[in-house]
Amino acid sequence: MVSDIWWLFNKYVKLSLRTPLWSLFNLIQPLIWLLIFGQLFQSMAHLPGFPAASYFDFFIPGVLVMTVLFGSSWSGVSLLREISAGTIDKMLVAPVSRLAIVVSRLLHAAVQVVIQTSIILVIATLLGSAVNLSLTGVLPAMLIVFLLGLTFSAVSNGLAMLLQREEPLVVLGNLMTMPLLFFSSAMVPESLMPGWIQSLAALNPVNYAVTAIRSALGATPSLTEYAIGLAVTFGFTVAAVAWAFTSFNAQRE
Amino acid sequence: MIVVENLKKTFASGVTAIDALSLEVRGAEICALLGPNGAGKTTTIRVLTTLAGFDDGRVSVAGYNVDTEPARVRQAIGLVTQQTGVDFLLTGRENMTLQGRLHRLPKTRLAERIDRLSEYFQLADHLDQPVMHYSGGLRRRLDIATALIHEPKVLFLDEPTLGLDIHSRKMLWQLIDKLNREQQLTILLTTHYLEEAEHLAHRVAIMTAGKISVIDAPRTLIDSIGGQSLILTLEDGGTTMTTLQHALEGLPFVREQRFVGNELHVYVDNGAESVPKIVRAADELGITLKTLSLARPNLDDVFLKYTGQTLDSDNDQTEQPWWQQWAGKGSGTWQKKWADPAKSDDAHTSSWPPHDAAGENDSPQSWQQHHDRAGDRSSTPGQAPWPDSSRHDRPGKE
Repeated sequence: MVSDIWWLFNKYVKLSLRTPLWSLFNLIQPLIWLLIFGQLFQSMAHLPGFPAASYFDFFIPGVLVMTVLFGSSWSGVSLLREISAGTIDKMLVAPVSRLAIVVSRLLHAAVQVVIQTSIILVIATLLGSAVNLSLTGVLPAMLIVFLLGLTFSAVSNGLAMLLQREEPLVVLGNLMTMPLLFFSSAMVPESLMPGWIQSLAALNPVNYAVTAIRSALGATPSLTEYAIGLAVTFGFTVAAVAWAFTSFNAQRE
Repeated sequence: MIVVENLKKTFASGVTAIDALSLEVRGAEICALLGPNGAGKTTTIRVLTTLAGFDDGRVSVAGYNVDTEPARVRQAIGLVTQQTGVDFLLTGRENMTLQGRLHRLPKTRLAERIDRLSEYFQLADHLDQPVMHYSGGLRRRLDIATALIHEPKVLFLDEPTLGLDIHSRKMLWQLIDKLNREQQLTILLTTHYLEEAEHLAHRVAIMTAGKISVIDAPRTLIDSIGGQSLILTLEDGGTTMTTLQHALEGLPFVREQRFVGNELHVYVDNGAESVPKIVRAADELGITLKTLSLARPNLDDVFLKYTGQTLDSDNDQTEQPWWQQWAGKGSGTWQKKWADPAKSDDAHTSSWPPHDAAGENDSPQSWQQHHDRAGDRSSTPGQAPWPDSSRHDRPGKE
């Protein structure tokens, strides 16, 4: 089982390395957001009750989560491609567990977004952000990124099995990403949100992930905030992976 | 090696895919499922390779029950699907390595297998190139090599030469035939190319609408519709043709005659013996033959006889066009196409299949041993009646 996951993961890593540009394309959109939004909303930091010194610094955790959502919501498309290309069949006629097939795909997507977010962090630092780049800040933040990557690639793979077609999957992936980001503190601190959005944000697991990352990368990390964020994200991950596996497994001709 | 009894399968949409199908494939035999698109050939292969579930019946492959022992079946089989089952971005070697790893081959053994297979399938020069640079025929060869990485006893080939050019097709035929002869590999293939079935298979099963209407050696099937046909054209057509036809009607060996355009088709028991007699009959009437050719009935005639339809009509229509697939009622080729064997709910008795089934005794043998046994299949019943040397040189129909 572990060796199956390893070899399949290995294959997906190789595929990514052969198309490095594609992985970099995923960075363009978050970078544009970072540069433009970071500038556009600059004066927001002057509002009373704004929790950070500069909007740019405040926004970075939001951009990281955005990168995860944009990057991992594509995972299901490649599953559908693999099914129609016949390579999944090749795995299924080998004595490989189905769980290994699903898990290797999700691991690959999660590792990919960890690398992408690291690049974003480096660029943000070069642009003068003051986020906490110590290991105690970055590692916990990356743990959340990793779990969130697993979660959203699982959701995408699960949806892929449900929808069976690429087009609705892409549409639904985009449709899902935006509200999850807007109804979280990715761009606007919770204290400045209207009440109804605050209540929605309280139900949004992505919001907890953003808060946890912000707390880890902040100057004075709050362990409680991080722990709550980690717990919620982890629960979300387990549920999503279980669902992805079930829907992959449920396909019966 | 493969035993199918009364297999039934209905899709969720209510369409009957396989309808009470029974089939037995012997060890070291090449059996072809011949039928038009939609006949249920691919579904049958998917059931036999544990990728799809079924509603009723019993299926055993290499002595193992597909329903209750899918893991053992998978160890014993190799599958080449209609789509290319190899990764385009990986090299040939990486594709084979991955499949070998998934079959849990030890490293040295895997390297050995890759060497042998790449030599056998003439892949050595391209082994470290990404598959996307491969030609269609090369890709298919890699696909088969990948499916054989763990030395399976049974190989399933779903439309192995679909979309290939004539040269690649003939090369694949030779390789498949050689695999069967030298490795005693049992092969079940599907095809809608008549020539392929006739050329490769020891026995051909004619399949339409989820059923096998007849299964036998291609030669036997062709002989069953009788004799040969002589195709005559005359220097002056019209009434002389009718005169000749009336004269030939009286000859005892003439079974049937039919006008096709300006040709007269005369069906006879023995073409070679009939030719001089027919020439003499024409001479006696003072009729000059312009051309006279001898043709064998082919599998298309057999197909026509057993199914009432001809295969030729859709010979090259390989897939639905993309817009139909998109607009389709959700039954595209890749939709919901595999089963979870672990969740199979059919309760079959564990005493079935008998574990002494053909081929079970075949211990895995090295390639060298297989080479020594090459050509000793002359006693196999139902094998192709022509000698090997001529098998690939027989006049084609293309």
